[in-house]
Amino acid sequence: MPGSAGVVLAGGRSSRMGTPKAALEWHGSTLLRRTVGILARATGGPVVVVRAKDQELPALPADIQLIDDPREGKGPVQGLAAGLAALEDRAEVAFVSSTDMPFLHPAFVRRLLRAVHEGADVGLPVARGYPQPLAAAYKTSLAPLAERLVKEERLRPAFLFEQCVVSRLDEAALKDDPVLAALDPALDSVVNINEPDEYRTARSQPGPQITVHRFGVLAGGHRQPEAVRAATVAEAAAAVGIDFGSHHVTAALNGDQITRDGQIPLAAGDTVFFLSADAGG
Amino acid sequence: MTAGGYFGRALIVDVSTGTSDTMTLPDDVLRAYIGGAGLGAWLMHRLAPPRTDPLAPGAPLAYVFSPLVGTPLTTSAKFAVVAKSPLTGLLTDALASSHFAIAGKLTGYDAIVITGACPAPSALLIDENGPRLTTAADLTGLTAAQAAATLRERLGRGWRVAAIGPAGERGVRYATISHDGRHAGRGGLGAVLGAKNLKAIAVRAAAKVATADPDTVLAQARDLRARSFGPATAKYRELGTLANLLAFNAISTLPTRNFQAATFDGAPALAAEDLAAEDLADRDLAARDVEARDVEARDVMARDAMALRKVARHSCASCTIGCEHIYRARSGQTARVEYENVFALGPMCGVSDPDAVLAASARCDDLGLDTISAGGTIAWAMECAERGLIDAPWLRFGDAGALNRAITEIGTRTGLGDLLAEGSRRAAEQVGQGSEEFAPHVKGLELPGYEPRTLHAMALGLAVNTRGADHNRSGAYEADLSGDLDRLDGGAAHVAAAVETEDRAAVMDSLILCKFLRGVFNDPYTEWAGLLSAVTGWPVDGAELRRTARRIVLAKRVYNLREGWRPADDWLPGRLLAEPVRLASGREAELTPERLRAMIDGYYAARGLDEQGRPDEAQLADLRLS
Repeated sequence: MPGSAGVVLAGGRSSRMGTPKAALEWHGSTLLRRTVGILARATGGPVVVVRAKDQELPALPADIQLIDDPREGKGPVQGLAAGLAALEDRAEVAFVSSTDMPFLHPAFVRRLLRAVHEGADVGLPVARGYPQPLAAAYKTSLAPLAERLVKEERLRPAFLFEQCVVSRLDEAALKDDPVLAALDPALDSVVNINEPDEYRTARSQPGPQITVHRFGVLAGGHRQPEAVRAATVAEAAAAVGIDFGSHHVTAALNGDQITRDGQIPLAAGDTVFFLSADAGG
Repeated sequence: MTAGGYFGRALIVDVSTGTSDTMTLPDDVLRAYIGGAGLGAWLMHRLAPPRTDPLAPGAPLAYVFSPLVGTPLTTSAKFAVVAKSPLTGLLTDALASSHFAIAGKLTGYDAIVITGACPAPSALLIDENGPRLTTAADLTGLTAAQAAATLRERLGRGWRVAAIGPAGERGVRYATISHDGRHAGRGGLGAVLGAKNLKAIAVRAAAKVATADPDTVLAQARDLRARSFGPATAKYRELGTLANLLAFNAISTLPTRNFQAATFDGAPALAAEDLAAEDLADRDLAARDVEARDVEARDVMARDAMALRKVARHSCASCTIGCEHIYRARSGQTARVEYENVFALGPMCGVSDPDAVLAASARCDDLGLDTISAGGTIAWAMECAERGLIDAPWLRFGDAGALNRAITEIGTRTGLGDLLAEGSRRAAEQVGQGSEEFAPHVKGLELPGYEPRTLHAMALGLAVNTRGADHNRSGAYEADLSGDLDRLDGGAAHVAAAVETEDRAAVMDSLILCKFLRGVFNDPYTEWAGLLSAVTGWPVDGAELRRTARRIVLAKRVYNLREGWRPADDWLPGRLLAEPVRLASGREAELTPERLRAMIDGYYAARGLDEQGRPDEAQLADLRLS
């Protein structure tokens, strides 16, 4: 979406998980890589990751900007302030996410972004009984307000919401969006994982249902699209017997960008086209 | 002493008088330009009088060989035909393949240059007895293939023939020169020969030429042969370039209905993956007669019926890839099916019937027409007709009968064909009424099957290439399709890619090696230098070949400057800069004039040209033109 960007808050302590959530394995990738990738896809704009100072993070694409949280222990509003400030001159609206939402769907992200592009300061989902400030869209111009709240030690997102226009979208409002309703009917986008059991349960689920088309010599007699379950482009390739590590194969996600990055995350409803890299004359 | 692989001379034949001369080719020139397209550009600088009408007797046309021709290196049996194009008015080189290259070189010359015009329809023969003309009265009106067969029967064993079809005889500005089913297709060089009253050139080997280090050449040939069977060439061997069609359709890169769209609903019917299912050849044909009420079963049978029509796979002489996939239409006519001819006569004209596209392609081959220019010009005319800009109610997108009629009229210069035979640029200039904005050409050469709005590196390559809208001399689509850059966000990376791919193309077209081999090279300049060194004995390295590439590209640009090229010619049709296309993802793909301007400016800077696309004195001195 033009004028949109993403912020991933990765600086949390992961105390209940017992290990950094950002680095948790996810279908051959990591949770952080997945979240960053979903936001990049959904926004089409820059994505920043806010981390604790000196925090080690798993590998990320080179164009992802890392921001160090200037103050420790101030919670997500501090991360929000830092992330929005980093994007203020590049995007009007940013989707802010924690790093522990493995089922976040691009359609969900776009729905909230649209709420802000349509006039609100914040697009706040209210799903599964709770407001979800770490799966919400914010005007980047809120950065100074968030920063002031941190200095005043008013660290709950509710303090921010009191001072701006918030579009609260409950489940019915979210599902009014036909694309979101079709692709994430249970609003699994807001599911976050905090404890090992939750992670294991989530991880044991197969990847999202997607469609694979193969072209040219990769088709190998498969002329029709194939439905597979895959969380990444590499997983989709493996599901249909394609060596995505080969120099001669590329993928086009939903007919858009061509990529050789097997860790691009997939979401329900995606179509992946596998092409010979020597496409062309 | 002449380097290995060369004779060190060109044959100049004046077909007005039947006389000939030999021109020495200095070793430093050969090393600077190698052969093929590069040497051809130098020859045109030296031999073509400035600002000469391409169809005038004084306009030369050269068949140019290379040091690798005749060696065991795979895909080396290629030749370049170089002249000023009657379609663009600029330099064009068109490559074709196979036995003519070898026999032509082994007449004892690195190039054969033809000037003048024959007083009567003639064929030029060259063998150990030298060049001479013979009557071609009995060949007039024949297809190139028929003319070649007739001439070979008359001449006897050992002769190889390159000929023009009826379109060339009638001066269609995109007429081809053909040899054994392969075409020096783009730029209308068939019309140049037609203007010279020269139906064919027949050559027979009369000499030998040694390589500097035959043992190394042989070892290299074995290695290259083995690599040519690997994954880098799989597409060409198994499906041919038609494999591009469905893939391009999926990524909104398939020009449709004169670039009104970038996807075509009829694409699946033309897919290589379906047309090439040889594994179904043994299916019980009687099953097709079973009436199927089930739609799915009917679709399967229809697909299977189409899938029965691939009949052969051919390769050029000295080629281990074998990219030529031959199909048979229901009419029984066969045609070589490639991406460009299927795109140009299919989606570009809105036609989805594979039989109609095969038949149209075969008809173009018979007449001797460049399918890309034919399809592009016809598509433009279809749009003009639908808009009421020309009076041709029979001409509509998607109408296979209209497509066939248009091709026939072009090839015979009858009816509307007389206008369309001029190409889309001249035709649009005549029709006016805003039709220039959607005439699908650059510098007069019709656009190939790559949508510039969704391939920004290719867009730049098409805009700046000296031949016109040319995917082959540019090759920048490789970068767009590589995944290494954002194909929709043209900028510095796209400029660098367009320069690099154009340079590589210049070297391959001069060595000459087929570009379908390009994927087997891991360090192309170094490896190519090794091949050239072994053949010639020159201590060439990769750095030298990079300089050679730049020299060749610049030599072409300088020739065009001489012939009237203007900076405004490096541009794209108005439609492509005014009308975005939508991707399957919902995103809009747009190429703005500002972005294109920035990329062109970047290209000029990268090539050391000034803001008007002109070189400096130091660059000119390096061209060795004086």
